Amino acid sequence: MPSSAFAQSRAAVAFNDDEATLQRTIALLEESDDHGGAVDPDVRETAFARYLALPAPGARAGKNWRYDYAALEVAGLSWSSGRQPVAALPQRPGAKRLDDDASADNLSTANAGGLFHVGATVLEPRELPSLDPRVTVLPLADARRTHGDVVAGVLHQLIDFQTDRFAALATAFQNCGAFVFVPAGVQLAEPLVLVFASAPDPAAVFPQIVVVLGDGARATVIERHIGESESFICGTVEAHVGSGAQLDYVAVQQAGESARAVVARSARCEARATMRWHLAELGAGLARTTLETRLEGEGANAAINALFFNTGMQHVDLATTVRHERGHTTSATIVRSAANDRGQGRYLGNIIIRPHAHGSDASLRDDALLLSKRAHIDSIPALEIAANDVKAFHGATVGSIDDEQLFYAQSRGIGRGEAERMIALGFFEPAVAHFPSEALRNEVRTALDAKLDEATERA
Amino acid sequence: MNERGLRFSDLRANVESKEILKGIDLFVEPGRVHALMGPNGSGKSTLAFAAAGHPNYTVTGGTICLDGSNLGDLAPDKRAKAGLFLSFQYPAAIPGVSVANFIRTASQAVHPDDLTPAKFRAAIFEKLDVLDMDAALLGRYVNDGFSGGEKKRLEMLQLAMLAPKYAILDETDSGLDVDALRAVGDSVNDMRKSDAGRDTGFLIITHYPRILQYITADVVHIMLDGRIVKTGGPELAQTIEREGYDRIREEAAAGAL
Ligand SMILES: Nc1ncnc2c1ncn2[C@@H]1O[C@H](COP(=O)(O)OP(=O)(O)OP(=O)(O)O)[C@@H](O)[C@H]1O
Ligand SMILES: [Mg+2]
Repeated sequence: MPSSAFAQSRAAVAFNDDEATLQRTIALLEESDDHGGAVDPDVRETAFARYLALPAPGARAGKNWRYDYAALEVAGLSWSSGRQPVAALPQRPGAKRLDDDASADNLSTANAGGLFHVGATVLEPRELPSLDPRVTVLPLADARRTHGDVVAGVLHQLIDFQTDRFAALATAFQNCGAFVFVPAGVQLAEPLVLVFASAPDPAAVFPQIVVVLGDGARATVIERHIGESESFICGTVEAHVGSGAQLDYVAVQQAGESARAVVARSARCEARATMRWHLAELGAGLARTTLETRLEGEGANAAINALFFNTGMQHVDLATTVRHERGHTTSATIVRSAANDRGQGRYLGNIIIRPHAHGSDASLRDDALLLSKRAHIDSIPALEIAANDVKAFHGATVGSIDDEQLFYAQSRGIGRGEAERMIALGFFEPAVAHFPSEALRNEVRTALDAKLDEATERA
Repeated sequence: MNERGLRFSDLRANVESKEILKGIDLFVEPGRVHALMGPNGSGKSTLAFAAAGHPNYTVTGGTICLDGSNLGDLAPDKRAKAGLFLSFQYPAAIPGVSVANFIRTASQAVHPDDLTPAKFRAAIFEKLDVLDMDAALLGRYVNDGFSGGEKKRLEMLQLAMLAPKYAILDETDSGLDVDALRAVGDSVNDMRKSDAGRDTGFLIITHYPRILQYITADVVHIMLDGRIVKTGGPELAQTIEREGYDRIREEAAAGAL
């Protein structure tokens, strides 16, 4: 389906991160009756004031980091909000390009329901995928009207725009988002899919996503960013995981080559809850992601599988934090990153074990692979352990392709390029293997493979 | 017409600018089995790596020719495509790459239009059987967490699947239990009976005559300090087993060899 089919019908504002633009966006949201906004004007103003006051994240950690956030250029993009009726959703919600269905064999995933955005506009198909009636998946603005109390109790509770500059920006200019609610005891077999596709026009997209799982609930949520155009995605994701509940949250970022994607994600886990993050940062010129997991209930568990692969001039800046607040909480973080061409990456891995978190067990394993001389990845672990009857493991490596592995593969007739590709793909497997379905695993493998191809073509 | 065989002519090779091979002459004919014995550090693996084109082993003189064409400074994969196979003394692990994927990619590289996926499957299962290997192994990562014996069996599985013109087995028998040794022997003999492997020439590097009970050697060579100092029939392996290398060392020192 050609992307032009989704031309935005609504009025738009030329975006800039200034006060005048903020007032124009507030006015636009107020005069529209289908109200895409889910944040009150006074909250937007407070958040914007914090955005202006807080310093841009610096180059502090990782001395070789070359990206300057103060130079982030966001003016001129189109800011809009709203919804658009369509006959049906695009066939393959996972396809990297909207108009490229045929070549995207592996890219569809089973879908229990979800939301499809083009830019910040929600597509409203006449027929929705059949969703379990007990489960709620709504644009955040709609949820504010229908589930006001629940939303008020969870939105902006985990990510603090008082201290996080990009969260402040996302809150000030929020123009889309989702509310996912899986009540206690409901277990979904198929994933819920939230797609953010960049429109043909460069767009400023500010999604705020809230996921709530009641006690004992189970769900997989997939957040995708796809597209070709230059856009600025700046959002927040907050997940509340009830006692004994289990959330697999997948974020696959394949935004356009010159897009910028800055997303803060945080989860709060009650007793014996399980939170698994699966993160693949594959697109965008600049991707900044923070992943925080708060293990607030006794015996809660977290798993973080994250991978990124920087080619061309891509920058990826990833930080994961696991907070062990209570006893017998466990966490396992696996990060695999690679860089080719002039790709640059930075990973900060934080593990915090509080004094009363007795019997906790944390592991952090991160490995980086450099595929060219100009590629660079910094890896900075930080373990802050205040309890003494705990287990904590940390291991990190940065290296290039192993010569003996390469020779071994070549000695079997496999050409150097093919052998390097095979070894590089294999390098990502420990992270890929944990993604929650074969379709997703294959999709990630296909995307990594395509990125290796692009890099080879450039070389 | 080109000469058929794997020929080392006055081969000299360095590792880290130290001369290890000091003029090797050796000729492995198609379908024949040569054994190469010699004390630790005498240069046997160096010879194998030099043949396979390992970048750390620099040929400083002489030639290696496969069926008459000089391997010169061909890349390792080109040598494999020309028909050379090396069973590693210490095979590398490649985490994240499954055995099945690895062998399929290798087969396609070496025999581009040979096998349909169905035939490939049938072939690999047949070979697993001869080697008494569990099919679950196909899904594991190449040599990752394999025991010493499992690694050697995997080398033999690849040998059987790739059916090269010339195979160098570097201490494939070391560290194998009796059953594994028999399985390796069966696998090699199976291959030698097949159309694809009938003409394969072998250079078997070993410390023990035991493997030669399963795979009969036509010729046995003894390497000392980077040179082949003695060549004889299968009985030479027994002599070494009984007497060790001292006598050969003395003879070599006295210039009798
Ligand atoms: N990478 C290397 N760096 C330095 N020296 C090396 C290297 N590889 C081999 N050598 C040296 O070259 C010599 C020959 O080694 P080689 O591995 O060929 O012996 P070998 O006959 O195979 O011994 P073994 O029976 O123990 O396997 C040894 O002295 C060894 O230390
Ligand atoms: Mg050796």
